[in-house]
Amino acid sequence: MMNLEEKKKSGLELFLYWGLPILAILLVVGGWLWFAISNPRLMPNPLQVYERLIRTFTRPVAKVNLFGHAFASLGRVLMALVFAWVIGIVLGILIGWSRVCKAVIGTIFEIIRPIPPIAWIPIVIMWFGIEEFPKVLLVFIGTFVPLVINTAAGIGLVDKINIDVGKIFGGNRFQILAQIVIPTALPSIFAGIRTSVSSGWTTVLAAEMIAAQHGLGALVTRGWQGSDMALVMVAVITIAIIGAFLAFSLNKLEKWVCPWTK
Amino acid sequence: MMRHAETEAAVADEKNGRPVKISVRNLTKRFGDLLVLDDLTFNIHANEFVCVVGPTGCGKTTFLNCLTRIYEPTSGDLLIDNASADPQKHNISFVFQEPSAFPWLTVEENLAYGLKIKRVAKGEIERRVNQILDLMGLQQFRKSYPGELSVSIEQRVIIGRSFAMRPDLLLMDEPYGQMDVKVRFYLEDEVIRLWKELGSTIVFITHNIEEAVYLAERVIILSNKPACIKEELVLDLPRPRNIAGSEFIQYRKYITDKIKWW
Repeated sequence: MMNLEEKKKSGLELFLYWGLPILAILLVVGGWLWFAISNPRLMPNPLQVYERLIRTFTRPVAKVNLFGHAFASLGRVLMALVFAWVIGIVLGILIGWSRVCKAVIGTIFEIIRPIPPIAWIPIVIMWFGIEEFPKVLLVFIGTFVPLVINTAAGIGLVDKINIDVGKIFGGNRFQILAQIVIPTALPSIFAGIRTSVSSGWTTVLAAEMIAAQHGLGALVTRGWQGSDMALVMVAVITIAIIGAFLAFSLNKLEKWVCPWTK
Repeated sequence: MMRHAETEAAVADEKNGRPVKISVRNLTKRFGDLLVLDDLTFNIHANEFVCVVGPTGCGKTTFLNCLTRIYEPTSGDLLIDNASADPQKHNISFVFQEPSAFPWLTVEENLAYGLKIKRVAKGEIERRVNQILDLMGLQQFRKSYPGELSVSIEQRVIIGRSFAMRPDLLLMDEPYGQMDVKVRFYLEDEVIRLWKELGSTIVFITHNIEEAVYLAERVIILSNKPACIKEELVLDLPRPRNIAGSEFIQYRKYITDKIKWW
């Protein structure tokens, strides 16, 4: 009897975990098919997209195959992220921990913060041209903002009782910051990292769509301007897959870095 | 029938050979015009278990915060081994009423936390953590995070963390205030066991008079705000104490009468 209950329950779990998601994907593919068949000029069907995918390898766009374009985009994002993480977390800690820093850096930051990263594109292109650096800079601007905000907010979450424990045990200011305040903020910092990755991934595509030889954003523009919808679809699906992969890896990383949050 | 503690305690401790460990001298604390602690003076001997009782809102928390140096007293001082108390130099531990385990550390890391700040040798930390885990029956939880434990187990971890420090002075602020009666009885016996085993010097604050009579060698009764010492009382009942015994009840009633201010 008990066994039957359990089996029933695990059957439901299985359906929720695998059945429904697969159903959802099938629904999207079905919608795509239906749309492609009824509007063949607006939307290529999956087979055409697959053929176009193969062609990105046999006849590379701008002398680089699909992987090359993906790595170009990823490289820019990762480079910007490394800087954004270091600078953003340090700034966030300063703003959250020191009232002087909050008054000075925090104020400047509040002014810059509401500007969407895409609005920086014309400024950055005019100042720095269309080489690699301005693109990385744009992604950096888009990624470091959520980090500063989340880190500062996380530092603010620290429980006074935990700081008191550190003080009573004789911890100095640095030990309290490193061993109590920052661990408290880690889950928030990680939320910032997650936002920064998705924001970075969107910003790099926007930057590449405007001016780039290589990169998935450049592929989108290329397909768009050449009325090559299949190429646009190839690029968009690749973007989605890489985005999902990044989110998945971050999830794993978070479980490893913050094992106490379950 | 009730003997006067000052002389009695001195005589008893001369007999046991326990030197004065903690000396509170004319401790006074004002917040602006509000006098909270009024000239408290008393001694605590090494390895003594003292309970402090007083009416609600009499300034017990302020009293404790002055002892831990979270607040600086307005005048007067707390001496540990004849030197002004200093968390960096002395070894003070505190058990708060609310659970204060670090959520990002496992049980064993929580137990080791204060020892690491005090730069105790690694082998010694391991030995003490293991001893506490054994004494408190926490071995099965050593790798758990506080969030995975019940409140009463978490509180035991904090008590263990304090005892692991082998503190000069262990302060406990109604540590069992939030526990139900059964758990409280169990933990009271446990704290007595740890005290006997490890020879700590304990100041235990409570508003539960039965708890005070059950635990203490000596009870310090505080008056209503501004708090001064109303009376000190030596309890030389044999252990384990019988809460239904006639002498026990007599003490309990006596102290209850003393802290009535209405």
